[in-house]
Amino acid sequence: MDSATALQIFFSGLNLGSIYTAVGLGFFVVYSVTRVLNLAQGEFVMLGGMLTVSFHNFGVPLVPSILLAIVITSLAGAGLYRFIMLPARSASGSTWVFLTLSFAFIIEGIALLIWGWEYRSLPAFLNTPSLRLAGATIFGQTPWVIGVTVGIVIALFVFFNRTMMGKALRACASEPLGARLMGISIGRMAIFSFTLAAGLGALVGALITPLTMTSYSMGLPLTAKGLLAAFVGGITRAEGVILGGFVFGMVEAITAGVIPGGYHNAIAPLILVIIFLSRRRGLLVTAGKG
Amino acid sequence: MVLNGIKLLRQMPQKVAQARLQNRLLIILAIVFFTVPLGAGAYPVTIMIDIGFYCVVTMGLIMIMGLGGQISLGHGAFFGCGAYISAVLTTSYGWSPWAALFFAALVTGAIAGLVGRFMFRLHGLILAGVTLALNLVFFYLVTSMVDITGGAIGFMNIPPITIGGIGSQDLLFNYYFIWIMAFLLLIFSLNLTDSRNGRALRALNTYAGGSEDAAQVLGVNVLRYKVWAFVLSAVYASLAGSAYAHYTRIIEPNTFMIQYSAMVALMAIIGGRSSPWGAFLGAGLIIGLRELLRESVPVLVGGLSGAYELIAYGIILALALLFMPQGLVSVVRRAASKRTKINET
Amino acid sequence: MKPKLVPPHRRRGKTIAGDYLLEVRGISKSFGRLSVLKGVDFSLARGNILVIIGPNGAGKSTLLKIISGLALPDTGEIYFAGELISNLAPYRIASRGITQLFQDIQLFLSMSVVENVMVGRHRHATTDFMSSGLSLKKARDDEQRVFEAALEKLALVGLEKAAFAAPASLSWGQQKLVGLARALASGAELLLLDEPYSGLVADEVTKLNQLIRALQSQGITIVIVEHLTDILMGIASQVIVFDHGEKIADGTPAEIQRDRRVIDAYLGGEQPGVREVDDQ
Repeated sequence: MDSATALQIFFSGLNLGSIYTAVGLGFFVVYSVTRVLNLAQGEFVMLGGMLTVSFHNFGVPLVPSILLAIVITSLAGAGLYRFIMLPARSASGSTWVFLTLSFAFIIEGIALLIWGWEYRSLPAFLNTPSLRLAGATIFGQTPWVIGVTVGIVIALFVFFNRTMMGKALRACASEPLGARLMGISIGRMAIFSFTLAAGLGALVGALITPLTMTSYSMGLPLTAKGLLAAFVGGITRAEGVILGGFVFGMVEAITAGVIPGGYHNAIAPLILVIIFLSRRRGLLVTAGKG
Repeated sequence: MVLNGIKLLRQMPQKVAQARLQNRLLIILAIVFFTVPLGAGAYPVTIMIDIGFYCVVTMGLIMIMGLGGQISLGHGAFFGCGAYISAVLTTSYGWSPWAALFFAALVTGAIAGLVGRFMFRLHGLILAGVTLALNLVFFYLVTSMVDITGGAIGFMNIPPITIGGIGSQDLLFNYYFIWIMAFLLLIFSLNLTDSRNGRALRALNTYAGGSEDAAQVLGVNVLRYKVWAFVLSAVYASLAGSAYAHYTRIIEPNTFMIQYSAMVALMAIIGGRSSPWGAFLGAGLIIGLRELLRESVPVLVGGLSGAYELIAYGIILALALLFMPQGLVSVVRRAASKRTKINET
Repeated sequence: MKPKLVPPHRRRGKTIAGDYLLEVRGISKSFGRLSVLKGVDFSLARGNILVIIGPNGAGKSTLLKIISGLALPDTGEIYFAGELISNLAPYRIASRGITQLFQDIQLFLSMSVVENVMVGRHRHATTDFMSSGLSLKKARDDEQRVFEAALEKLALVGLEKAAFAAPASLSWGQQKLVGLARALASGAELLLLDEPYSGLVADEVTKLNQLIRALQSQGITIVIVEHLTDILMGIASQVIVFDHGEKIADGTPAEIQRDRRVIDAYLGGEQPGVREVDDQ
């Protein structure tokens, strides 16, 4: 393999890794506060992309389009919590997971209704041209993806560690009883986490549309991949999600570069599942005790 | 118990009454199911065949979700496994469809066993993510192996499955094939639910008041039971998949993707995870709803009927989870138990 | 003699000689920095009733979980009838004849009372999935036998009339008895009872006492973890007192009641009915 190809793979890995990390962080935000796996996260990403395209096609400039998309999708996230999750707050974890799935169905149906079957796309942000770097070609949108993801990570870090709201969220995650005693309302934290995750997903959606296009049905596969990325690193910690996301991205990029055909789409998740399952096994000591 | 020994009669009057009612229901349903289509038109029969396939896969899913209490959102992969193995073996390698059917079930079961052995060391919610991912893996594998499976375009010219002279080239044959399969598997599932193994599985279901710890200290090998339930559910799906391949004669990867897995999970939940009957109720309700929407949507706002279906499914799932978490089966059961209440001292 | 502390997973199929049904050697367990059990040793002879008492948080429940296999000790070993069991999975330990009744019982709420007890019979039936599903004669005969055995155990605790009731419809005391019947159905030689008396009213306590005595006379060995000391002194053959994860006393009820350390640490000074002893 020559250095140009290796560099190409590297940037592809960074690109994919950023996407998976960003999507995974959406899962992380909801899971850490509510212990719910939000299967509608992929739909938020799809919504963000679709809405941005629609506004943009309407003539709205790019940045306001993205902002509008984020706001609307965040409202959808809040709606998910307020109207579907909240009535079921005394139910079991698996019920919650399936409730988010029901929301995913509804969003997908609405998307199909509004936008139909077609794929939608955007030009790269600010029409950034493809770069040529030491023989590798990098699509213009890639630096945006990587850059914004880094920005998201930093922003989340600052948020969780430096702001009152963020610290309150973290308290809910690790010490729910203590948080309650401090007067922090779990309900408000929960709705905030869903809203934040939805908004985050929307931003990611806008980011990736120039690269992968959006369509009404892309939500569920993206949910599957994002969830896997989050799990592999460890969904309970943001660092884990970031690690998992980039591992997934790199594995996919490497397998894409090395294995011909479309097999990498199957091999990469499979490798990650194997990593995840065997790591789990390493943590267990003889036949399931603990 | 569906068919049971006489000794039990003396000691379990209520159980016997329930079993009798169930047996009677089975017989009546069987008669209805197997005579009505003879007079019906092609369209209703086609719908019923559709329901039949969903019913069998859902029944298997109920085995692992309802009895075992584990989440699986990837059963489309097992359905597809059966379909593709049968399709490829019969078309490209000239296998007999019956041999391919059994072989596919074996292979799919073995894959489920291998995956399950490692997967069930995890707990609960994480399984949702893993099964989703595995569904993806299956999909991309099939689309990549273009030479063998025809890739994303699909696989064509699958021969029919036949008994004697008649086969799945005739519409009615498919109806009987899938519904006889469904009834046989229903009886198998009902027997299993009410047996030592069924009880062991139900004991594990922490979402329905079970307790893995309590089961363990009574000698139940929890991991083994979860894996076996998973294998069984995969075999059910595979059998349906093989039948499906011979019915439609053309299969494509998209049919077996996450949306399908989510649909059968939806049917299992709405129908009721605690009993194999839930599969009948769930599949019947959802497909019935689908047909209703397809009839009426052109009259309503102009839009793709597929969209309204998705929205309707989502709403129904949410409503079921919020207000009827035990599914339709529990509603039916309550009505039935009022009829069989026998005075206990 | 300080027992040798070897990591549990290194040992395989070890056996020791001896008369004791249960031997606990050097068991230690910590959760993070909290040390819950420290070097616990004791032996229990067949047919005896061992009562373990001590303040809350003293590690008693954890010890039971370690014996039944639901928790793994950091160090130490447990031998049952001479065979090492502390490295086995819980279901394997159960099949050797040990079972546990939990403090919160943990009945299977989706099944009827008799079905709960039938699960207790699990290891006595061998029907596999295929036989069950096909409802073969072998399976049906098994089912009949299991059902009859379950009814018999229910009759033992006096609840045969509630066989088809839902567990949630019974009172706490009745649920406890169902749990006990379920444990008995497993045919265990060693019963681990975790606070069996908690939540019981006076006549239920008496009934449970009678049952435990009856079980002992059938040769079953019992370990009880409890708070209520008065009642238990009457039925215990052996008493062990825990304090902060350590065993501070081990002997007959009479010996324990005279033990100064126990009086100071647990019974809290003067106890009515206990003579103050001067020697030490």
